[in-house]
Amino acid sequence: MLRKRIIFSLIYNDGFFMQSRNFRLQKVGDLHWLEKNYGFRGIAFSLDELVVINATRGNKDISKFASMITALVDDVFIPITAGGGIRSVENAELLFRSGADKILLNTTLHENKDLVRELIRIYGSQSIVGCLDYKRTGDEIKVYIKDGSESIETSFNDYLLGLEALGIGEIYLNSIDKDGTGFGYDFEEIKKVAASIKQPLIIAGGAGNENHLIEGLKIPGVSAVATANLFNFIGNGLPNARKKILDSGENIACWEK
Amino acid sequence: MKIVIVDYGMGNLKSISSAMIYLGVSEVKISSDYDELNSADKIILPGVGSFGKAMKEIKERKLDDHLKELVIEKKKPLLGICLGMQLLGLSSTEDGLNEGLGFVNAEVTKFDTVRMKVPHVGFNQVKVNTELRLYKNVPQNADFYFTHSYKMLSAASINQCTCDYNGEFIASFELDNIAGVQYHPELSQHNGLALLKNFLNSF
Repeated sequence: MLRKRIIFSLIYNDGFFMQSRNFRLQKVGDLHWLEKNYGFRGIAFSLDELVVINATRGNKDISKFASMITALVDDVFIPITAGGGIRSVENAELLFRSGADKILLNTTLHENKDLVRELIRIYGSQSIVGCLDYKRTGDEIKVYIKDGSESIETSFNDYLLGLEALGIGEIYLNSIDKDGTGFGYDFEEIKKVAASIKQPLIIAGGAGNENHLIEGLKIPGVSAVATANLFNFIGNGLPNARKKILDSGENIACWEK
Repeated sequence: MKIVIVDYGMGNLKSISSAMIYLGVSEVKISSDYDELNSADKIILPGVGSFGKAMKEIKERKLDDHLKELVIEKKKPLLGICLGMQLLGLSSTEDGLNEGLGFVNAEVTKFDTVRMKVPHVGFNQVKVNTELRLYKNVPQNADFYFTHSYKMLSAASINQCTCDYNGEFIASFELDNIAGVQYHPELSQHNGLALLKNFLNSF
């Protein structure tokens, strides 16, 4: 049976990893810090996947980001998705060459559909993850691009249909309202999306403890639960959470030696 | 031991190369050069991307001829991974109908997108036959990481082990000096490292 996945998302800003809350970034530490305080290569053995997002405000310096990816992925034998600021085939190629298995697209999905088609033609749908950041205002849901700084006119549902028509392999659905709060995912919206889309769905924004992850995994149509919360899952947080999730009977992979 | 990972200009080769180094391989090269391939003890054909584009890149580099000579005639061990496994088959319906390298009697078709979410992505269990060389010390129903929209099927007996996603498809095969895995062993934690070690030791 196809397993569901637990994903950790690292938010990167100009050389450092960040804690994000409603897309406001707070500096936590660099790669050295991550390894020292997090034992990252060990922690990776309790993850199914890693997503690394270049959320650098202003110039995203993809070369510097790519070097960090290369340093990060040594001896980490899980799939890595990297993205943020990909504006050309060359940008994508650099990330793949640096150790990314998949790339994450956001602003480009809206601004340059021809590039998206070209990337799918070269790398295949399964290598492309579409990131959809959204925010709720009353009853209305708006899609945001450019690190959550700009909303677009296309409706949330039309945008999702557009991503399917383009051939995007997976959807990374991220609630800006819930981001970094630790109060739990936007379950209401997630349930609707999960029931309607054809691609695998990764949910992000709001997980604060393993119960949130479990609640997300229980939703039919959700393929993966992601958390970017460095503070709540620090130290043994992730290995312990994975164990509890396995014990709770959720359908996640088992590879303990 | 010298391992050459075939470079035809597509995708992430770093994970496979770091897995080889992690497993103690003394020399790992990423190359499409004939002399490098010829001097390899074993060859890995990786693959990310679409079938048609991959075959085009392979032919442009004359890798189809090189691999035929080295793997079919000279019997050098070869492991195809993901798209690299599919390329070893006769054909694929991805990007129209394309011919593969034809090293193994198998065909590649798309998953049913109506009834299932496609791509098939994530860890899934493989019906492991522990008597095969690939699966020494790998547990039954071991989890491996898949990411693909097309699947390989074969009516022939090629020592296949299957995985189920709305029907069984080939997760791996082994035939003489040639092996293929649909999943990514380099992204499959301990199970994947065990598989790669078996390829290094038993082929």
